[in-house]
Amino acid sequence: MPILETRQVSKRFGGLTAVSDVDLSIEPGEIHCLIGPNGAGKSTLFKLIVGTYPPSGGEIRFRDGDITQAKPFARVQRGMSIKMQAPSVFKELRTRQNLHIALQQKFHRQALVDEEERLLALLDLTAHADKAAGLLSHGQQQWLEIGMALALGPELLLLDEPTAGMSPEETFKTGELIKGLNATGMTVLVVEHDMAFIRQIAQRVTVLHLGKVFARGAIDEIVNDPGVIEIYLGKGHGREH
Amino acid sequence: MLRTLKLVNGQQTTGNGKGFWLCFLAVLAAALVYPAFADSYDVGNFCYFLIWVFMALGLSLMWGYGGMLSFGQTFFFGIAGYSYGVLAINFGGGSLTWLALVLAVGIAMVAAIVLGYFMIWGRVGGVFFGIVTLSATLVLAFFLGQTAGPEWRIGPARLNGFNGMKGMDPLTLTWGDEDIFFEGTLLYYLVVALIVLVYLGLRILVNSRFGNVVVAVREDPQRAELLGYDVRKYQLATFAIGSGLAGLSGVLYTSWGQFITPSSVGLPAAAMPIVWVAFSGRSDLTATLVGSFLLLFGFQTLTIYSQQLALVLMGALLLATVMLAPQGFVIGLARLIGRQLGALRAKGRTDGALPDAPAREA
Amino acid sequence: MFAELFSTFYQFADVFAFLILSAAGLAIVFGMMGVINMAHGEFIMCGAYVTVGLVHAGVPLPLAQACATIAAGLIGVVVEVLIVRKLYKRPLDTLLATWGLSLIVTQGLLILLGSSIPGIGTPEGSFTVGPYTFSTYRLVLFACAIGVLAAIYVIFMRTRFGVMARATMQNAAMAQALGVKVGGVYAASFGLGAALAGLCGALYAPTMTLIPTMGATFVVESFVTVVVGGANVLLGTAPAGVLLATVRMLLNANYGQIIGQIGMLVAVILIIRVLPEGISGLLVRRGR
Repeated sequence: MPILETRQVSKRFGGLTAVSDVDLSIEPGEIHCLIGPNGAGKSTLFKLIVGTYPPSGGEIRFRDGDITQAKPFARVQRGMSIKMQAPSVFKELRTRQNLHIALQQKFHRQALVDEEERLLALLDLTAHADKAAGLLSHGQQQWLEIGMALALGPELLLLDEPTAGMSPEETFKTGELIKGLNATGMTVLVVEHDMAFIRQIAQRVTVLHLGKVFARGAIDEIVNDPGVIEIYLGKGHGREH
Repeated sequence: MLRTLKLVNGQQTTGNGKGFWLCFLAVLAAALVYPAFADSYDVGNFCYFLIWVFMALGLSLMWGYGGMLSFGQTFFFGIAGYSYGVLAINFGGGSLTWLALVLAVGIAMVAAIVLGYFMIWGRVGGVFFGIVTLSATLVLAFFLGQTAGPEWRIGPARLNGFNGMKGMDPLTLTWGDEDIFFEGTLLYYLVVALIVLVYLGLRILVNSRFGNVVVAVREDPQRAELLGYDVRKYQLATFAIGSGLAGLSGVLYTSWGQFITPSSVGLPAAAMPIVWVAFSGRSDLTATLVGSFLLLFGFQTLTIYSQQLALVLMGALLLATVMLAPQGFVIGLARLIGRQLGALRAKGRTDGALPDAPAREA
Repeated sequence: MFAELFSTFYQFADVFAFLILSAAGLAIVFGMMGVINMAHGEFIMCGAYVTVGLVHAGVPLPLAQACATIAAGLIGVVVEVLIVRKLYKRPLDTLLATWGLSLIVTQGLLILLGSSIPGIGTPEGSFTVGPYTFSTYRLVLFACAIGVLAAIYVIFMRTRFGVMARATMQNAAMAQALGVKVGGVYAASFGLGAALAGLCGALYAPTMTLIPTMGATFVVESFVTVVVGGANVLLGTAPAGVLLATVRMLLNANYGQIIGQIGMLVAVILIIRVLPEGISGLLVRRGR
């Protein structure tokens, strides 16, 4: 049974249909990538899953419960962790405190302290633990945010363009981090358009085009699918290169 | 229990070191022996300044920690003050005045929850939060001013319009046949004890799990929600506590002078807590405590010569704070001193290493 | 029957005019700059004092009112340049700074001028409809409120300044890039807002007791109208005025002024629960 499922989900803004009758299903334990050219509706679909706004039609189910109308915090409490596209950390608070605020949802006392140190080390942020998070580099802020998402101990990790603005080395490191998490059993949904990064991590891929599901399947099938190549080349393939 | 008490020091409060707590004890000791050296008039005056500090601490919590700029502190001050008067008169005084205190603060908090629900669930923030709370305050003041007629009474308690309500008993303890009134020095000690309790309690609160979330919501409400917190509930709770503290000030004020008037609700009274907290440094409880007390002291001294002049000065202080030291003068000064001390200590060290402690640890 | 209807309209017009005239200036400044001018009431007071001063000096009332409007506007520009300009992007600090200014002005004037100065009395003139007598000046105020709304519409939709102002309102950075002098637009908007506040004071000066704290009489009405109207003065303020005036008029007529004001406040609090961005927010969202 899928851990996350969208059934015939649509979103209209005035006259514009950004997402149209999308069926998406994420199986437990997989890394699933949502790709597509600019304007394909990826980010809108992501925001529907996260609960930024409600869909115009359709149903969203998570861990076998209907979350279509649930507020974002309620979805998080059910076991989603979310990292939105724009990095947003608590800039004036210290790095350590950022993690602490996320960790205190699940951990207490000594376990909290231990987990904080473990995550700082995992994210290579130990040296910056007492710095205001706003002073971290862009890539470090992205990692801190991923760390905050992990701190919630999620069943499903949702990442919207986690490598935006990262150097190739940082991007690769992020990919390895995600694979490592997946190896411990965490399900991951990633919205991306960096194909190299997708090849590095993806197991299954859903391609969106003009708000609809264009193709889906294993990563190897998708990258060789002439139709997928067509929509990418036809629509400004150059953006990520 | 011990773990909770340890939260009196933490990330969200300035002054966590031994030196700070020694100063705290020294000030507290001075406050405790003060009545022995001062005449009763001065003790009463001192007590009067301290009464307003609760309102300032409440605003610091809401505004500095929670990012909600409420202009309605005197709204809740008035609600609780008048409620105490009505209840104390209806209860007929005696030890029941303590019940009146608790109920009056409770009524102010319920009012805060109702008003806060509509604003917070309606996602009213920023400047509108200020002007809606101020509108409520001014309407209450207007209403209270119109209640001069004999029909405006609750039981034997008359609201009395602009002249204000009077004749309620102060807080009283009935011991056998004897009534011990909390006035003068006794009230002073009560207020000092309450300030210590509230100050330490708030320090624990802002350093606790709850306080972490409140600060996170101030920094970025969307991010906080994505960490699974129902931001609205935290905001509402903060608003209720901060407003309840304004209510506590209102009750103590009414008990202190055994009267309350609409002018303590409306303008310019409503601006005063803003001035105290902005000038002191809204983001820190200690700065607010110290700065508010100093300003109240200065204000009262000037008021003897001219109340208008004192108010002009308060306006000028608010303007100067915003233009010159938006974080507040007292906290700015404290941080400067902290840095100087840090630099001195570093100089004293043989290895000459620079202290890398952030400014907040001052 | 006609007399009753007219009487109802008259009461509505009276409240409507008060709401619109007191809120128009505040709404323009909020809509343009996202800032609430807490010294708004003091600009109203300024308009009233200049009017009364000039009338005492022998200037005819309408001319005195025009001069008062201009004086308030000029002071507004000065305040924008000296204070508000320094606080761009800090809307809450602007609130505090203007509140400080408001305290200085009201209390300073109390020291300088004393508590109240002699007024000039409402211009005479009344007319009767059926059994009721009405004051002509109240209808003049209503006409002025309509005139102010029309003028705002013309200024924002039909002038060069209006084009620049709307561009700045939409996206200040973009407008700047396109060559709009954003600072100038802000100064002019703030001045316009202050002038409208001055006009409000000038128009109500003959009907009120003049005290330095008189601005407080207007602030609740102006605040709630702006809160309900939202950020777009063209779309929001007039409907907000109609809505609140209707509530207020009905309550005033049946339960008196106190309940009228409390009821209006309660209505506003209920409205913000459903319309956080006010009426104009709703209209803009619909229009998308």
